[in-house]
Amino acid sequence: MRSVNTKKRLTKSQITARREKIVSFIVLAIAAFLFVFPLIYMLGTSFKSELDLQTHPEKIFPTPGQWTLKHYTGFFITASGELDNMPKWMFNSIWSTAATVGLTLLTDLIVAYVVVFLRWKGKKVFMKLLFAWMAAPTVIGTAPGLMIFQTVKNALGANTSAGTYMLVYFWLVVPGITGVFNVILMNNFFRTIPVDIIESAKSDGASHFKIFTKIVCPLAKSTMMVIVLFTFAASWNNLQGPQLLMAGEGQAIQTITVALAESYGGSSAWGAQGVSMATAVFSLIPVLIIFIFTQNKMIEGLASTGVKG
Amino acid sequence: MKYFENSVRDENLIARKRQRAKEQVSAYALLTPFIIIFILFSLVPFIMGFVYVFLRYDPYDVGATQFYGLKNFEMLFNSDITMSKSFWESFGPVTVYALCTFPIGTIVAFVLAYFVNMCPPGYKFFRACIYLPSLVSISIAGIVFCNIFGPSGSGLLNSWFGTDIDWLGGLPFKDDFLRWVVILIVCVWMGVGGNFVIYSGVLRDIPKSLYEACEMDGGGRLRKILHVTLPGMKSTLSLTMFGTVVGMLGLYGQPYVLNTIENKDVFVGPMMWIQNYLMGGLTYAKLTGYICAAALVLGIISAALGLIQRIAMADRVHGDKYGVAYARFAQLKSQSEKYKGGASQ
Repeated sequence: MRSVNTKKRLTKSQITARREKIVSFIVLAIAAFLFVFPLIYMLGTSFKSELDLQTHPEKIFPTPGQWTLKHYTGFFITASGELDNMPKWMFNSIWSTAATVGLTLLTDLIVAYVVVFLRWKGKKVFMKLLFAWMAAPTVIGTAPGLMIFQTVKNALGANTSAGTYMLVYFWLVVPGITGVFNVILMNNFFRTIPVDIIESAKSDGASHFKIFTKIVCPLAKSTMMVIVLFTFAASWNNLQGPQLLMAGEGQAIQTITVALAESYGGSSAWGAQGVSMATAVFSLIPVLIIFIFTQNKMIEGLASTGVKG
Repeated sequence: MKYFENSVRDENLIARKRQRAKEQVSAYALLTPFIIIFILFSLVPFIMGFVYVFLRYDPYDVGATQFYGLKNFEMLFNSDITMSKSFWESFGPVTVYALCTFPIGTIVAFVLAYFVNMCPPGYKFFRACIYLPSLVSISIAGIVFCNIFGPSGSGLLNSWFGTDIDWLGGLPFKDDFLRWVVILIVCVWMGVGGNFVIYSGVLRDIPKSLYEACEMDGGGRLRKILHVTLPGMKSTLSLTMFGTVVGMLGLYGQPYVLNTIENKDVFVGPMMWIQNYLMGGLTYAKLTGYICAAALVLGIISAALGLIQRIAMADRVHGDKYGVAYARFAQLKSQSEKYKGGASQ
């Protein structure tokens, strides 16, 4: 009698679990579709021909036989045979984002290592300042930062396009690498590494450089992924900062995100539906690639990094 | 013998001291680049923000710098000046908007996190799909959603239903309801992912034994949510709430890309106002102090909101490591979205 009872209870909870799985599967499938739908629409529209765009705005994908790559091939070379703006925008975005991500990662690793594993005076004050900075409203520094930039620009006489380009991108990449949150994130992770590992490596005669490259960095892989994806997305999608620095400088200097917002955003998109969609698809590709490679580790990391602190 | 021991100890001590000194020096050497860049590009502009407000400063004519006293603030608080008036008016739409976004965004994120935690087949894929829009740039979102909600000739929704609704037109507090709906949809679309992932992490960490205890007491699903899930998430929920409200003060990208010709230059947020006049170049360069004063007001308001949050949360967060850690994360999220500007970070 008792065994029957337990069996019955078990199956009941199993039934609930199964029902839960079915319901959540349906809800999540619908939600996932709704969230991805705008991107599917973007991809579909980018293949539509001019005629299709005008006669069938209600379709997500082009009508059969109307698929075209015209919007994708059109923006590499201008009519006069020169390099068009689109490859320039992509190039600007790619190199500046790669530089930001690489330098940010390097800075975060080094600073967190110094803070956690080296003994030095002033460590507590340093960390307190970092935490205090997190609460500081950085909007106060936006305008003065721009003024300093303009003063430096005028002082250097960087009026040639190459000089302006270098200064703008220097100002875009370098300030971003000291993002305090990333340092704290890395610092929180380093603190979870058992000190015994480091101590025993030290007593085996390993230098700090060796401990850093051979022990600490390999352990920090998933935190590194989180930082890579965050920094990549933030830098690639950064609109406000570059917009300020590039105001009134011409189109060739822009990053793809700025160019998309200024040339094709909102009211400026008139008559360029196909091209704007194709450019948007292009600008999404790098983020998508990084996301596919890092997503699982990074979402797990995101869900648990707070806990690790 | 004793002498020998002593000398060994001394030698050890000296060696250790030397080691320490070496470590100290290399620590400072390694930190120097970080500190220099941080001071030059983050700290100095921030401090200058408090200096410029008292000056008449023009980056194109540095020699003509004057001490202005409180004149910039007098101008800012004088609503007869059109520019100042538009600054204060821009707080209206964002406030209304922040109050709408928070509940909707939170509920959507919570419901999705709740279902993901049941781990149905393929939940990792769904989770990735829901998170993906968080990485899409506002420019892309602008292009796509302007087409979805576009006019009847090209808009997806209008041509689906055969209607002619002007989604994106409208001025603040006049006939802009539909435009706010669109901006809200875009904000939820782009913003839910982060909160959703955080919530699912918190949900996963709520001990199963609590649910079992609740079940023993005869609690159903709703009771479990009310008495176990929500109390376990309380601190995270309120943190994300303040994050959203403070974040909304910095609303810029969405209204910038989702517009029509008529409302292209309407400021729907203080951040948009600041950004617009900063991009004005030479025309507004001599108003630098005045713009800095506006930025200072905005900064103080968001800092005050943050302080209220901290005071309100103080007793609950106390000793709650997770809460503190998520507080940092929520702060990052709100900051990275608005202030990630290269000039300010």
